[in-house]
Amino acid sequence: MSPETILIIIALCTSFYMAWNIGANDVANAMGTSVGSGALTLKQAILVAAIMEFAGAILVGSHVTNTVRKGIIDPVIFNSDPNSYIYGMIAALLAAGTWLNIASYKGWPVSTTHSIVGAILGFGILFSGFGAIHWNKVSQIAASWVVSPVLGGAISFSIFILLRRIIFDSKTPVESAKRMTPFLVFFVLGILTLVMVFKGLKNLHLDLSLSHALILAGLVGLLGALISMPLINKVKSSISESDDEFIDPKVEKSMQKVVMHLRRVKESITGELSDEITKVLNKSENISNRLEKYSHIKHISADYLTVEKIFVYLQIMSACFVAFAHGANDVANAIGPLAGVLYAIKYGVVGMQAQVPLLILLLGGLGIVVGLATWGWRVIETIGKYITELTPTRGFAAEFGAAITIVLASKLALPISTTHTLVGAVLGVGLARGLNSLNLRTIRDIVISWVITIPATAILTAAFYFVIKFLFS
Amino acid sequence: MRTLAKLFARSPFAPLQRHMQDVSECVIRVKEIFKALEENDSKSVSRIAREISKFEAKADTTKNELRNHLPSGLFMPISKVALLEILSLQDDIADDCEDIGVLLTLKDLTLKDIFKDDFKNFLNKNFETYELIKEIIDEFDNLLETSFTGREAEKVRSMVNNVALKEHEADLSQRQLLKNIFSNEDHFTHGEFQLWLSVLREIRTLSNTSEKLAHRIRNLLDLE
Repeated sequence: MSPETILIIIALCTSFYMAWNIGANDVANAMGTSVGSGALTLKQAILVAAIMEFAGAILVGSHVTNTVRKGIIDPVIFNSDPNSYIYGMIAALLAAGTWLNIASYKGWPVSTTHSIVGAILGFGILFSGFGAIHWNKVSQIAASWVVSPVLGGAISFSIFILLRRIIFDSKTPVESAKRMTPFLVFFVLGILTLVMVFKGLKNLHLDLSLSHALILAGLVGLLGALISMPLINKVKSSISESDDEFIDPKVEKSMQKVVMHLRRVKESITGELSDEITKVLNKSENISNRLEKYSHIKHISADYLTVEKIFVYLQIMSACFVAFAHGANDVANAIGPLAGVLYAIKYGVVGMQAQVPLLILLLGGLGIVVGLATWGWRVIETIGKYITELTPTRGFAAEFGAAITIVLASKLALPISTTHTLVGAVLGVGLARGLNSLNLRTIRDIVISWVITIPATAILTAAFYFVIKFLFS
Repeated sequence: MRTLAKLFARSPFAPLQRHMQDVSECVIRVKEIFKALEENDSKSVSRIAREISKFEAKADTTKNELRNHLPSGLFMPISKVALLEILSLQDDIADDCEDIGVLLTLKDLTLKDIFKDDFKNFLNKNFETYELIKEIIDEFDNLLETSFTGREAEKVRSMVNNVALKEHEADLSQRQLLKNIFSNEDHFTHGEFQLWLSVLREIRTLSNTSEKLAHRIRNLLDLE
């Protein structure tokens, strides 16, 4: 076997291993809540996650892959020595994989993205000093690591506040939830379709312009909303079921109006009529109070449960969205270096312009799916048990916020940590006083692991680089 | 890599409600102890008094558990201070119940016919006040659902008003009862008289603390 073939095999194996790792560990974040709340069975969750991850990797994965491959180190420096690039990228993959293994063993909240970026950075600095690094791009990436959790948190915060205002604060939460659902379906499906088709289908040679993509997204969203309407109407408010003493909230409102008008009448008249009005007013105030008390106390809790039932379905959609976004962003961590290596071996130069081949994206997607199927399901099960706090409404808000952020970053070709963004989104919901307790120590751990990961993987990469170079030359 | 799972800490509201459950066990037994007293069943009285002590101890354990397991890096929708204050007020109710039990075992008391009705009325008003505040504590889950605002908060506010109202009724019934006791002071020995007054004071604390607790929760809704 020629050294090239061996290198290709090593590169394929390590990148597949990275993809496996990503599928095994990170997909659970997207699907865990839906399994925990019983919205999806484990099998369904895995199937849906596999499809969405795969779609994300293939349709949008190439943007970030390009950044990982050639955005961090200037490829020009390898013109005279493409072999070093090959060794370095393989070393980076090995280092990131090893570091992830150590981290998962120790239980540190390390991100795959940070590992691979740190590894490539380390290799670049080792090879030709600080000048070889695209510091512009690197600082952009570093900034995005801070911005993405904050942005995810801000979006989730707003969505949760919105849901609270419109649904939980209304007198008829179930009715409001029903009214809201088609809109939410429209937005989730619309945005998802938009990121899929706008520049996403390039790999399939089907490039749509922005206006076409917008129209298509609008149509898909509309279709989803229309389908959701009859489905959502099947969900019965707990009030109108079984309870024969049910008082229509409209009646309650009208009664309040009666009281209000009577008060006005009372203010503007005097004499004998005033006494009569006072009597009527007292009586109607009594009735109004009784109605209010009745509809308040009896039904609110049951109503909230019904709202959560409706949101179970919406949360499945947002979970799919997260899986898609995750595939789009994280597949690059595994295949970015691989794409570079294969290109360099094939053409003998480090590619500047080349497209990421569809086959490699497929391989990355496949790795993630295999990881999910062989190990990820366990993690989904465990996480599902832990995060039952994330009820469907809260889960929806958190996931939607995180997914939008991740997709946005993917489109901007910025490799960010999906897990950290999701953590930021959950904190956003917590800030809106939506969660009963959050462990802030996790944030400290994340920051620490952030700081340690980059030098650690950089040093590991250097070590692996020398070993590989020694073996092959 | 289970960062997300680690992010979720244990809910402090569930132990709070569990503590209230223990407190309720005490209050229920206070009801029983007065029933036993009415039937002049002094054996049952001392047995129930012991039971109350047992449940008070259990409530203490729950309280300490909650306090000890409140990690420093926790982020909650209500402040930690508020949570601990609510907990301590709840615990006061349990302590109060224990005191009532102890007082009743000091001396064999009899519920005399002359003030029986007034006393029962007074007792019930206090229990009712407690029932209302218990309902409010049970509402915490729903309050969380709406992040302590909106309709649910309105509802709890109106419930707090009801507690205050009941407490006032308990006040009135106490006045009536005291009038009754003082006008019939000849029927009591000096020791009995003293003891009854202490018992009344303790029963009174039941509704007073309930009202305090209700107002603490109301403050929570207004301020935070």
